[in-house]
Amino acid sequence: MYGYVRPPLGILKEEETERFRRMYCGLCHTLGRRYGLASRFILNYDFTYLAILLSDREEGERDSGRCPMSPIRSKPFLRGTDALALAADESVILAYWQLRDGVADHDWLHGLPYRSLSAVLEPAYRKAVSFRPAFDAAARQQLALLRELEEARCPSLDQAADAFAALLGAAAGEVVDPVQQRVLGQLLYHLGRWVYLVDAADDLKKDAASGGYNPVALRYGLSDGVWTPESRQAFAVTLDHSVHMMTTAFELWDFGVWRPVLEATFYTGLFHVGKAVLDGTYRSIRRGREKELQE
Amino acid sequence: MNDPYQVLGVPETATDEEVKRAYRELARKYHPDNYHDNPLADLAQEKMKEINAAYEQITKMRSGGSHGSTSGYGGYGSGYGGASGYGGYQGSARQYGGSSSSVLQQVRIAINTGDLTRAEALLANYSDHNAEWNFLRGAVCYRRGWMDEARRYYQTACQMDPGNPEYRRALEFMENGTRTAYSPNGTPFGTDVCVGNPCLTLCCLYSLCNGGGYLLCC
Repeated sequence: MYGYVRPPLGILKEEETERFRRMYCGLCHTLGRRYGLASRFILNYDFTYLAILLSDREEGERDSGRCPMSPIRSKPFLRGTDALALAADESVILAYWQLRDGVADHDWLHGLPYRSLSAVLEPAYRKAVSFRPAFDAAARQQLALLRELEEARCPSLDQAADAFAALLGAAAGEVVDPVQQRVLGQLLYHLGRWVYLVDAADDLKKDAASGGYNPVALRYGLSDGVWTPESRQAFAVTLDHSVHMMTTAFELWDFGVWRPVLEATFYTGLFHVGKAVLDGTYRSIRRGREKELQE
Repeated sequence: MNDPYQVLGVPETATDEEVKRAYRELARKYHPDNYHDNPLADLAQEKMKEINAAYEQITKMRSGGSHGSTSGYGGYGSGYGGASGYGGYQGSARQYGGSSSSVLQQVRIAINTGDLTRAEALLANYSDHNAEWNFLRGAVCYRRGWMDEARRYYQTACQMDPGNPEYRRALEFMENGTRTAYSPNGTPFGTDVCVGNPCLTLCCLYSLCNGGGYLLCC
């Protein structure tokens, strides 16, 4: 996905941040164990959230160990569980199709990094498909649909977002408990819708310059990539309805120890990211941050 | 039945005031107003029943089994199942009477029972795209999560029949409804109403990545 969903660190207690980190590291170790070292490069916050949503209420047992990113200091991480395995499998499938999408989106030269990475991930992808054929079928179908809609320059914001949202919603398909499946299906659908729309909003200027397909620009007639007050307000409302659907679903399942980080993310984090994207400050904040990291 | 204190999330030693506060917070969260036309409204209704029963049980226990002291109770539970929602189609037969045709009545029933595919098929075969048709199409869109289209259909319904309170309420909810949505401790709910420092959210979990992390990290 796109990295728009992230924990609001400023309002989270340190123990919750640490818990999130243990899940992040746990997913990374599970990826390594199931799919080999090369698969670990796909790790990101989005997949960590997927793992949290699919997880048990309790945190589960911990291991401690070194890894390529922490070769000296041993760090605690969550031991592999069924939920982590499911999240790892689905993450590999999603990451692979995202890379293939990148190949299709670019010319030969610019598609080279995507092609190389998808080739690296190919063996892991094949293995993941053997575990989760239904999810792979859903991913293929929805991404093909999304591509068709993009090529046809679909003017309906909801229809374009639906293709991506339904793909993420399908990640709940492997959940056994029927109530949990309904709740997660709804939550993930709207998380996917929100991510797709925020990403399109974030790309407004870039797409206006390149002439690339942008459902938000088409819907509101923003040919120069600049919001009008009315369109901005209408768009914020449609995002908020999706966040509302997420929070109402979230409250109907007991997420146990993961509740604080999820609650902070859904009730606060998403609004902050959405507002920064609409204000046009999201990219500069991220760029500034990356610069800081490099220094 | 589960332990009523556990349901309300308070210890048995909680004061009456604490119990009441916990009950009110949960009732606000699962209130039907917060689950308007929500595809998961049935699950919220179950929660609400459980919370009401737990609160009633605690107040009874604390008053020695008499019914005398349930004065703090009510106001939330009693509203359930009533016509508190803006979507008139979810109500009783009384409201179906508002339909201009038997097909549109069937659409209302299909939406009410969660059979959106049937509702859509019926609407697709109905050639008179009048105000009610647009309203019902909007209701189907909302339940499917097509929020932008829902708003547009409701707008059309209101333009065609400006005096209809059912359509007006639906549009009002699409435009302002999330402002009154439940959020813990009453924090503001909404992208454009959220205040605060965006850095709060966007600070990288640098320590998590442990030095930049993997290729797609951060």
